[in-house]
Amino acid sequence: MARMIGAGILATAGLSATDAEHPVRVRIFEGQPEEQWLSPQGAPTSEYAEPALAFVRIPARFSRNALPLDRSTPFSLEATMVQRLERGEYRFRLRSKGLAVFLVNGEPLLRTSAQEPNRASHDALPEASVGDGSIRAAPPAHEDAVRRVSLDGGEHHFRLVAVIGGKGLAPFPGELSVSIARNGEVDRVIGGNDAPLLIDADWEQYVAMSQRRHHFEDIERRRASDDLVKDEWRARHRRVRAWMASRPGPEVPASSDVGSVYNDVDRFVNAKLDEVSIAPNSIIGDLAFLRRLSLDTAGLIPTAEQVEWYLGQSPETRRPAAIVRFLDGPDWADAWVPVWQDILAENPGILKPDLNNTGPFRWYLHQAFSDGYSFDRLVVELIEMEGSLYQGAPAGFGMASLNDAPMAAKADILGQAFLATKLSCARCHDAPFHPFLQKDLFGIAAMLRGESIALPASSTVPVREGGRQPFVEVTLKPGELIDPHWPFDEIAAGMAAAPPPRNTAVDSRHVLASMVVSPANQRFAQVVANRVWRRFLGRGIVEPVDDWSGASAANSDLLAYLAREFVMSGYDLKHLSGLILRSHTYQRRPMPDDPSAPGDGAKLFAGPLRRHMSAEQLVDSLHAVAGKALDSEELNLNPLGDRELRQFLNMGTPRRAWEMTALSNERDRPSLALPRAQAVVDLLSAFGWRQSRQSPLSVRDDDPSPMQTLALANGSTGTRVARLSDDSFFTRLALEDRPLEEMIDIVFRQALTRLPTPSERELMLDLLSPGFAERVAHSDSDEFRTGRPDKTDRRVSWANHFDPQSTLIRMEEERKVRMGDPPTSRLTADFRERFEDMVWAVLNSPEFSVIP
Amino acid sequence: MQPTRRDVLQGALAVTAGSLAPVANAQQTLNGKADACIYVWLGGGAGHIDTFDPKRRGDGKDIPGSYYDSIPTAARDIRLCEHLPRLADRMDRCALLRTVSHDLNSQHGAASNLMHTGRKPSGTILYPSVGSLVSHELGPISDDVPPYVVMGYPNIMRDAGFLGAGSGYVYLTQIETGPTGLNPAPDVDSDRQKRRQILLGRLRADYLARNDNDAVVRAKAEVSEQGFRMAGERFMDVFRLDQETSTVRESYGSDFGQRCLLARRLVQAGVRFIEVSFNLNFMNGTGWDVHQDGILKQHLLIQDLDRALSALLDDLERHRLFDRTLVVVSTEFGRPPDFDAYGGRGHQAGAFSTLFSGGAVRGGVAVGTTDEIGKTILDRRISVPDYFATIFGALGVDFARNLFSNNRPVPITDQGRPVAGILA
Repeated sequence: MARMIGAGILATAGLSATDAEHPVRVRIFEGQPEEQWLSPQGAPTSEYAEPALAFVRIPARFSRNALPLDRSTPFSLEATMVQRLERGEYRFRLRSKGLAVFLVNGEPLLRTSAQEPNRASHDALPEASVGDGSIRAAPPAHEDAVRRVSLDGGEHHFRLVAVIGGKGLAPFPGELSVSIARNGEVDRVIGGNDAPLLIDADWEQYVAMSQRRHHFEDIERRRASDDLVKDEWRARHRRVRAWMASRPGPEVPASSDVGSVYNDVDRFVNAKLDEVSIAPNSIIGDLAFLRRLSLDTAGLIPTAEQVEWYLGQSPETRRPAAIVRFLDGPDWADAWVPVWQDILAENPGILKPDLNNTGPFRWYLHQAFSDGYSFDRLVVELIEMEGSLYQGAPAGFGMASLNDAPMAAKADILGQAFLATKLSCARCHDAPFHPFLQKDLFGIAAMLRGESIALPASSTVPVREGGRQPFVEVTLKPGELIDPHWPFDEIAAGMAAAPPPRNTAVDSRHVLASMVVSPANQRFAQVVANRVWRRFLGRGIVEPVDDWSGASAANSDLLAYLAREFVMSGYDLKHLSGLILRSHTYQRRPMPDDPSAPGDGAKLFAGPLRRHMSAEQLVDSLHAVAGKALDSEELNLNPLGDRELRQFLNMGTPRRAWEMTALSNERDRPSLALPRAQAVVDLLSAFGWRQSRQSPLSVRDDDPSPMQTLALANGSTGTRVARLSDDSFFTRLALEDRPLEEMIDIVFRQALTRLPTPSERELMLDLLSPGFAERVAHSDSDEFRTGRPDKTDRRVSWANHFDPQSTLIRMEEERKVRMGDPPTSRLTADFRERFEDMVWAVLNSPEFSVIP
Repeated sequence: MQPTRRDVLQGALAVTAGSLAPVANAQQTLNGKADACIYVWLGGGAGHIDTFDPKRRGDGKDIPGSYYDSIPTAARDIRLCEHLPRLADRMDRCALLRTVSHDLNSQHGAASNLMHTGRKPSGTILYPSVGSLVSHELGPISDDVPPYVVMGYPNIMRDAGFLGAGSGYVYLTQIETGPTGLNPAPDVDSDRQKRRQILLGRLRADYLARNDNDAVVRAKAEVSEQGFRMAGERFMDVFRLDQETSTVRESYGSDFGQRCLLARRLVQAGVRFIEVSFNLNFMNGTGWDVHQDGILKQHLLIQDLDRALSALLDDLERHRLFDRTLVVVSTEFGRPPDFDAYGGRGHQAGAFSTLFSGGAVRGGVAVGTTDEIGKTILDRRISVPDYFATIFGALGVDFARNLFSNNRPVPITDQGRPVAGILA
């Protein structure tokens, strides 16, 4: 474990700076004047220990409310270590992609030069570095400085100082390292006993370990960084409860005779159904329930292990037990982030800012859901727009590139998201179908900005001399100043139980946030409760969920009850979700979503609406079924790092579908393609995922279309998932010593969370019986290959994308992606293909993507 | 002009200001007889001065001007770049718009978006591409053929915007891999595909039988069958260019030419709108974005365009498709007559050229005049909405018709009117 030990970040008591496993002491210095970059002064902003002089990732810094913060760029990394060496001659190697110096006993020994920022993207593609075969070749843009020295025996003081980032550069360390070797030996990175040799296998293992360790330590530190803030929120929730106590909620109806009841949700629903004499649907089966629950709370279908565990519970307790398990499961955030990416118009771009690009505040959303933030905190922090702009904090929500009235755009988003008040029309004129004036939108925008806003000339409807009068009203003139103000008379601007004060700057944001989340503003809790309800039941109690003007609630008592429960629980999304998920109302058979069906059954929730999987649920479920990770390049068009983060965001390598992003190849240049990511994006897009989220959206346009069928059936992602490569779950299954019938059962359970029907079983037996006994083939290797054998060529970068070679390299990678994963040689080709066809048919069956 | 964020006026009539090109009168505008469009996209910004609007020679350094000599054409008074000899012979069938103009000079993405949607983006509405609009307005010829096909990379400028996914496209980036989604995986031959279909058909039928009153299940099952019809042998045959004679294939030339040939076959199959991207950047590195040394081999691109486009026009005539197919050659902006420090060229959005042919387009016409070095417009500035109205007019699409994004009326063009003199 690397250990944080110091200033600027929360100290972890009781841990010493370094130990035998982590002998390298690291200190980060920020905001240094240029002449001190290589000899930083003053207090470090982070201090920690590492196992070796090898750095691929720098720990994140957090504010007191746990928001990631940007480091200065450049910042200086200083790493020191004392090591005892025998007398003799040594070869030292400093590997860095930027300015760095390495000192032994205070004497400068090696130095690398600063990286040149790229300006014109007409660089030549760097030569493929092959090294001398004995050590790992220096990656593109890196420089090796090597020197031999004779050293006396005894203790030696090593000191590395590297300057990371800087004007025109991305703030990442690349593969920074210092290694040492005696004559005839292979370089070993300087460090403790676990320091890696500078060879590919060792290095890659070290990097994977280091990434994992820093990832978890960042999370650990983040969670420990805001104890005080958490107390403040708990105090707020006590004030909220006290305020609410004197205001009674709706009376719970007595149980009616129309349907079964588990909790008060059912009582409210059944009472309404009773009025129109509609009986609710019956309850779905146990496995269908588990599949529905898993999709709704984890964003993908249940694993084989979860199914087995579930069936192992007693029939009376398995549903509540599963609800507890899934609400506390690790994928809870993954299920919710994509929903809010749409609603909040999260829209990061990886290739220069385009209209309404935001920062990647997906990472903040993920943090808020996985760290269990109360929902009022999430909303307040979003509105306060603090932290890192480009590394995922709410500051990124505050950004709208190329937009001349960004805060007006944000006011509209917030209005739709949390007040169900659509202000879009008011961007340019008074809303024709809503009671809003343009002044109202800009009043909130001014609160977000913290000062009056002059109406931009582009945000109006020009009336030309002699031209036709516009059909909409315009009451503001370009240039007119609008003061910060809360415009909604009908939505109380209560200030009860104010949230914890914000940290800095623009106070009117805090005022606005306080108004939004005030318990006196009942609209807020109802809007959020209604959104959660719609997500689980397929239809809102009020529709549409983002625009309540003129709308009425199908069951206003139910809505008031849910909102009150939500507020009283301290805005706890899991409490609210648990109420709904435990209800019989959620667990009923779906209503056939048939517009011609008679009656109000669907509207009054005689059963949930029939839903199909979202694009993200589909993609994640497909990969889970095959036991394969999502396949994608790093979402970064600047792997050489010689451009600024501001223009080329690095969005990392996606693990779940929501982490994908627009690939932004408006330039139509093959050298800017990311073929592996594109294959995933193709499938996501066909199923309604938006690669660009310029504006907020609550309900997607993802009705079934023939292109969805084809994208899944024939596209590269569907092909890869159905392919029995060495690393497929199905390959391992097919090699097991079991009867064919059992294998078929397992395939159906894995993919459809049910056993095959007799006729399905027979169909597949007919398909697979021939050649079953002889299916195992001789393999040329004992090792199971994992992942894609062809690596992405990381030399291709924005800086050289005009080099014809860069184009050819990416075009070749595109072709390979189309070929899919290499099929396993452990099964006879004929049997493997038929097994693949079974998997393909099951995954492409309409049943797979319809939620039970 | 302020085309962004302006509210949209029902039945708006354009006001013709002094410097704007005269537009056709209302009766003339909807007589287009084309019902399909091939949109050739020269991404990167093809320099009008080195292609369709040649001027006196520059020296590649300090003296601004064309990079090449010019040649006469089959149309009196129209000259073209010397690397377009075949097209020169066919200028009597082509019209040039030499004074298209907008103000998005710096950003390829934003300018490309403008030249696909006809509008600057606004944060409150996502405008559909010309391809989505055309296929939406003309409708599919049959359920088994996608109405809109892109040869190029999928991105937002080609999207359906508020028209919704139903007006989207299928795309391919390389001919040999075929359109994404339509071709089965490379290792699935037709026998195997049949076997898969049988298995899937059984699972689908069983599932439907268990849920036959459920509209979502029914819709899923229906699109499943419809999708595979679309990817059926008949349509997939379109992509088998080897069904053409070698004479025809060779007449089109290189990879870009083969894309044009495929476009012709797609028109035959009933596709409404085909965008063919010329992005073969391995030829000179930069494609049409000829900064710095990208210009050294620019002539290869121009020659390639000459050959492919000429072959396409001839081939459309040979198949009697010329009169019903509008061919447009477009780009996001032109390039200035001056040279950068390395002899290449920057961007110029204030004046550049596009080419129209086929359908009811009058041949031998050049609309608009730029100055002696192609830098500024001397007469008849053509706005982007007018450029798009010309396309829609040629296809018989009512360019002023209102579509609706939620409740908001959005006319197909932003008060554009077809350029006079282009449509017969």
